[in-house]
Amino acid sequence: MRSNYQIVTGVVLWFACSVVMAVPTIQHWKMTNGAHVYFVATDGLPIVDARVVFNAGSAYDGRYSGLAALTSALLDQGAAGQNAQTIAEQLESVGAQLSTGSSRDFSSLSFRSLSDPKALKPAWAVFKKVLNKPDFPEKDFKREKQRNLLSIKRREESPSVLAQLALYKEIYKGHPYANPIQGDAVSVAEISLVELNNFYKTYYVANNAKLVLVGGISRQQAEKMAEELLADLPSGQKAVAIAEVDDLTEGTAIHLEYPSQQTHLMYSLPVMAHNDADKFALYLGNHILGGSGFSSRIVKEIREERGLAYSAYSYFHPMVQKGPFLIGLQTQNEKRDEAVSAVKQTLLDFIEKGPTEQELIAAKKNISGGFALRLDSNKKLLGSVVSIVATDTPLNYLNTYLKNIDAVSVEQIKETFQRRLAVDKMVMVTVGQITGEKK
Amino acid sequence: MKKLLITVFILTMFYSLSAFATAENTPNIVHEKVLKNGLKVLVKEDRRAPVMVSQIWYKVGASYEYDGITGLSHVLEHMMFQGTDNLQPGEFSKIIAENGGRENAFTGADYTAYFQTMEASRLEVSMRLEAERMQRLKLQEKEFVKELQVVMEERRLRTEDKPQSQAYEYFKAMAFTSSPYRNPIIGWMQDLDDMTLADLGAWYQQWYAPNNATLVIVGDIQAATVFELAEQYFGGIPAVGFKAVKQRVEVPQLGIRRGIVKQTAKAPYLLMGYKVPVLNSVEHDEDIYALEVLSGILSGGSSARLVANLVRGSQVATSVSAGYDMNSRLANLFLFDGVPTQGHSVDALEKAIIEQINLLKTEPVSKKELDRIKAQVVAASVYEKDSNFYQGMQLGMLETVGVGWQKSAEYVDKVKAVSAEKIQYVANKYLIEDHLTVVYMLPKSQGPKGESTQELAHAQ
Repeated sequence: MRSNYQIVTGVVLWFACSVVMAVPTIQHWKMTNGAHVYFVATDGLPIVDARVVFNAGSAYDGRYSGLAALTSALLDQGAAGQNAQTIAEQLESVGAQLSTGSSRDFSSLSFRSLSDPKALKPAWAVFKKVLNKPDFPEKDFKREKQRNLLSIKRREESPSVLAQLALYKEIYKGHPYANPIQGDAVSVAEISLVELNNFYKTYYVANNAKLVLVGGISRQQAEKMAEELLADLPSGQKAVAIAEVDDLTEGTAIHLEYPSQQTHLMYSLPVMAHNDADKFALYLGNHILGGSGFSSRIVKEIREERGLAYSAYSYFHPMVQKGPFLIGLQTQNEKRDEAVSAVKQTLLDFIEKGPTEQELIAAKKNISGGFALRLDSNKKLLGSVVSIVATDTPLNYLNTYLKNIDAVSVEQIKETFQRRLAVDKMVMVTVGQITGEKK
Repeated sequence: MKKLLITVFILTMFYSLSAFATAENTPNIVHEKVLKNGLKVLVKEDRRAPVMVSQIWYKVGASYEYDGITGLSHVLEHMMFQGTDNLQPGEFSKIIAENGGRENAFTGADYTAYFQTMEASRLEVSMRLEAERMQRLKLQEKEFVKELQVVMEERRLRTEDKPQSQAYEYFKAMAFTSSPYRNPIIGWMQDLDDMTLADLGAWYQQWYAPNNATLVIVGDIQAATVFELAEQYFGGIPAVGFKAVKQRVEVPQLGIRRGIVKQTAKAPYLLMGYKVPVLNSVEHDEDIYALEVLSGILSGGSSARLVANLVRGSQVATSVSAGYDMNSRLANLFLFDGVPTQGHSVDALEKAIIEQINLLKTEPVSKKELDRIKAQVVAASVYEKDSNFYQGMQLGMLETVGVGWQKSAEYVDKVKAVSAEKIQYVANKYLIEDHLTVVYMLPKSQGPKGESTQELAHAQ
């Protein structure tokens, strides 16, 4: 069966079927106490997803590194006089899910339930208690603190975690982003319930809150649910802006000796904040450099050409202040030097010459052709809308997205990377065994 | 990243409880067609977004391998991206990318699967390419040498440098005697080292054929169109004669097995597993669904018993979970794992878990508890509809392990039918000491010259 087989490349099909995808409408209103609400109505599934986001990430820890994460973890461990067990039972008896989480910029609570009122009503009432009336019980506080301390200790079992911690410590020296989200052993041990209560009162307030609702409910229902959940929150103050990140003044290489078979490598510097003017040029450039798996140069050079690593990548992680640009990989200790120079050469080459016209066309096709995949479930919709609204991105972002992608040129990527990526200021972190001794 | 290797990770295994459920209030129609050459095609239409996922599942995986060739199925999966008679190495991925698609593949103990997620009108692209590599893979020495290095790096990343993962590997090797589940999916390092291009060629010839595959499409497509395209691209590929797969049933376990794995770790770790049947290994499935609900009672959510009693209650564990994969091809393990809190030993954690098991044997679970697990299963069966990929996964996996995709429709009702008495019965029947394997992973500390000093398990 090998007679007249021919591969029809994507190029032909591309022009044959460029699909127009309906972008969801994000409805927005502000409550009297200052909280912002965003709502996307979907149909097809009897599910409601919700997330409340506060500007209350670890960047606001102050001298108690780990405070934001511990506060967030305690919210559902006792509220309005009910203990953790009762809270969990009430949610799970109707199949609802509630979780909490923290990043460097934000803390959030995520909720999912069936839209059937028999499930949604009681579950939403529990959500309200957890958000508005956490008790921070002494016993649960002590336990969660101990669990955090053990988890901090266990970071040393992972060379990749150690590499990331060392990297943030170096590229954000003197800035709150330098600290681990979870804190460290000394700082967590110092946290008391007083700090927890203060943190909650300061940051879990309406002026600092954004609620996103996605699901099979009406606008009217959404408004009612938002009122129920947030109306009792005190207005409070919007959190002060996180300090700007200083540019690095010189490049560094840091090595941590660790008894692993592989060396974990990260090469990085802070570059991009949310709503950066160069966002689309940087994003497209990185897509070609190391952000698109097998199509990207880093995977070609590191994995396909040299067989050095299973996973090799680069990304821009936009944050409220400049987030890192990062190239990462892991390779057996003996191949460390080869990997270091291959990574450096690939980046230098890209910055010097920029992408080829062909690479840019392929990247644009991949991004435009895959646009529908970003919004094809309620879960993904929720994630997209949250990342738009939490970062004060214009609400028509998705509507103009493809136009913005299309407008980027080869020359623009080259110019932007040369201007924004100061290679001589980058930090290289390696964690592994220099001696090459096997574990 | 590319080429996921699916290992059944006990820390996340509760979620198997929610697997293979169906929503009660959304239509759930699967269209099936078997081509003349034996290729089975399953289609589920879901019109919520103009997208589709295409998955092709082969009945081959690590449990088909034998000593000396472990890891072969997984390396072959990597090589499936490295060129065919009509495609250069990497060209498959390039074409999918230019069509806006996302793709990957995964190898498990019982299956090897390849998938593309794309805008719905690109279905033909994925079919054309999958049909090509089903019949015309071109295994080349240069690509093989490089890809084998990549897989070895993958093994170092996933296993060698992850203390708990490596402990799990030793644990499985000790728990199983004659079952192929004793081998790691990614293969032993020595076997990877010994692998040849000829091994891969033979394995490809043996297993990659239409009558050993299931094509699953979920999304904004019409079943009739899919069947037409399947006929067009796969219809001409000849079927292959198969010898019956050797059964390799696990011999009965005749007493508790215990082991210690010393690791460069900061905290000890406990693994326990009881030999239990699965859907595919029994004629009558009542016990299986009862074990499934039992795992929910212990570990389904943060109100479940292990977290309630061992993490929040006695605080002997910092994390603990139970897990049961009822959808494996061969009889498997009912698993427990956990990390004790500082000040408690793994031994104390093991005793606390046994205590919970004994409670299940002596007292029926309350109606309230049972209802709570069932409510979660019903809700999860609706939540799953939010993902085309997951829906495809259920059908493909059930079909590939031998259970049959039709079983997915029964899941919720069978779970609902489980009684408290039945749970007590299966606890007494299967969770018995003679069928138990226990591994303690204990931290060793490195001396200045790399020599190890053993830390006591009982740190206090």
